[in-house]
Amino acid sequence: MSLTHLDARGAAHMVDVADKPESRREASASGYIRMRPATLALLAEEGLPKGDVLATARIAGIQAAKRTHELIPLCHALALSKVSVDFELDSVTSCVRVTANCRLNGRTGVEMEALTAVSVACLTLYDMCKAVDKDMQIGDIHLDSKRGGVSGDYNRADTYTEQPTPIVAASAEAGRVPLALEGERTPSVRVKCLAELRERFGVSELSVPFHELASANVAGLKLALKNQYERFIDIDDQRLLCAVNQSMANDDTPLTHDDEVAFFPPVTGG
Amino acid sequence: MIDVQYETFDVGAEQRAMLAGRCDIGAVVSFTGLVRDINERPDVQGLILEHYSGMTEKALNNIVCEAKARWPLQAVRIIHRIGHLVPSDPIVLVMVASAHRRDAFLACDFLMDYLKTRAPFWKKEQTASGDYWVAERDSDQQDAKRWLGQPQAGPCQESTV
Repeated sequence: MSLTHLDARGAAHMVDVADKPESRREASASGYIRMRPATLALLAEEGLPKGDVLATARIAGIQAAKRTHELIPLCHALALSKVSVDFELDSVTSCVRVTANCRLNGRTGVEMEALTAVSVACLTLYDMCKAVDKDMQIGDIHLDSKRGGVSGDYNRADTYTEQPTPIVAASAEAGRVPLALEGERTPSVRVKCLAELRERFGVSELSVPFHELASANVAGLKLALKNQYERFIDIDDQRLLCAVNQSMANDDTPLTHDDEVAFFPPVTGG
Repeated sequence: MIDVQYETFDVGAEQRAMLAGRCDIGAVVSFTGLVRDINERPDVQGLILEHYSGMTEKALNNIVCEAKARWPLQAVRIIHRIGHLVPSDPIVLVMVASAHRRDAFLACDFLMDYLKTRAPFWKKEQTASGDYWVAERDSDQQDAKRWLGQPQAGPCQESTV
C-alpha cells in the first residue's frame, strides 16, 4: 500500500485523475461536539444569543464541503451533486452529533469533502455557542462509509470496533473505572450535579451502583461518592442542597435503585 | 398557571388573559423581576438562567398551593424565564388575583419570597471581567422566614387556576 499523494521521490503531488473513469461517488462522515447540558438545552430551544445555531452550522458545513480544495492542498475541485449536513442532539451524552453526506459523479472520492463539512459544522457550532460555554469539545470526526471508485467500498462498521463511550468523560483515578458505561444495567442510583456544582465537581451526571452505597440513604450515597472520587470531598458542605426524585431531601432520605438524586447549590432564581 | 420558558412575556397580555370573562376579581397584584446591569459586579452584560427541569415545575406548584392555603386567591400566574438574558429583560412574573387588595399584595410577596428560596433556578452572570455564579443572599432567606409560623398548606395536588 502506498500514499497516492506522494510520488516516487516522496514529494507531494496532485494525482492526475483525467484517465480515471467517472463513477458515482458517495461518502458519509460524522463527529460530535460535546457541551454542557445547559448549552445543549439552549441550542435545542434556539435561546442562544447568535440565533438559529443549527441552520447556520448546516450552511457552514455545506459551504465548506464545496471549498475543500481551497483548504486541503492536493484535493481536486469537485462539482458536488449533493451535500447534506444533519444534526442529532443527544441529551444523554450532552453532545450534538454531526453527520455529512456528499455525492457526485466523478473521478475522485468525496470523503475529504464529507470530513471537511463535519469539521466546519462543528467549528461553527463552537463559534455560535462559545458565549455561554467555552468548555465545548469537538471529537471523534471520522469517515463512516464511502462508495464507488477503484479502491472499493468502505464501511467503518465492518473494520472498526467501537469502544463503549462513558456517559460522562471524567478522569479516572488509578485502578478504577469511574463511571457506568452505557448499556450497563447494574441497579444504580442516578446522580446529577447542577449549576455551580457541575462545574466544581467537573461532572453533570453519573451512575453509582446501588451496592456501593454505604447505607441506603442520601448519607450513604455521599459517603460512596467521597470514598471513590476525590472531587466529591465537599459534598458534605452544609450549604449544598439535595433532591431525590425531584423533591427536596436530606441525609436521612431513603434511596432505592433507579432513584434520581440531584445535588445543587442554594437557589438564586427570581 | 405556571410556565418555565425561554421566551419573553407581556405583563399586559397576561393580566388581560387572567381577567378575561371574570367579574368576581377585585384586585390584581403583579411583580415583574428584571435583569439589572449592576449586581455583584458593576458591569453585567448578561446572564444564563439554568433550572432543574421537572423539579422546577413541582416546586413552583407546591409554592402556589401554599399561597392558596393561606389566602383566598382567585387566580395565580407564574412565568419564569430560562436561558440567556440581557439587562432590562424581564426574568420572572408573579401575578395574583383576589377579591381584596390585602390578600393579593401579601400572596404576591409570599410567592416571590418562596420562589427565590425554594425553586431550583440558578443565575450565572456574564461580565467583562468574567462569568460567575450568583451567590444566594441571606436577606432572601430572612424574607422567606417571615412567613413561618403562619398557616401551612393542606393537601394540594395540582394548581388549577
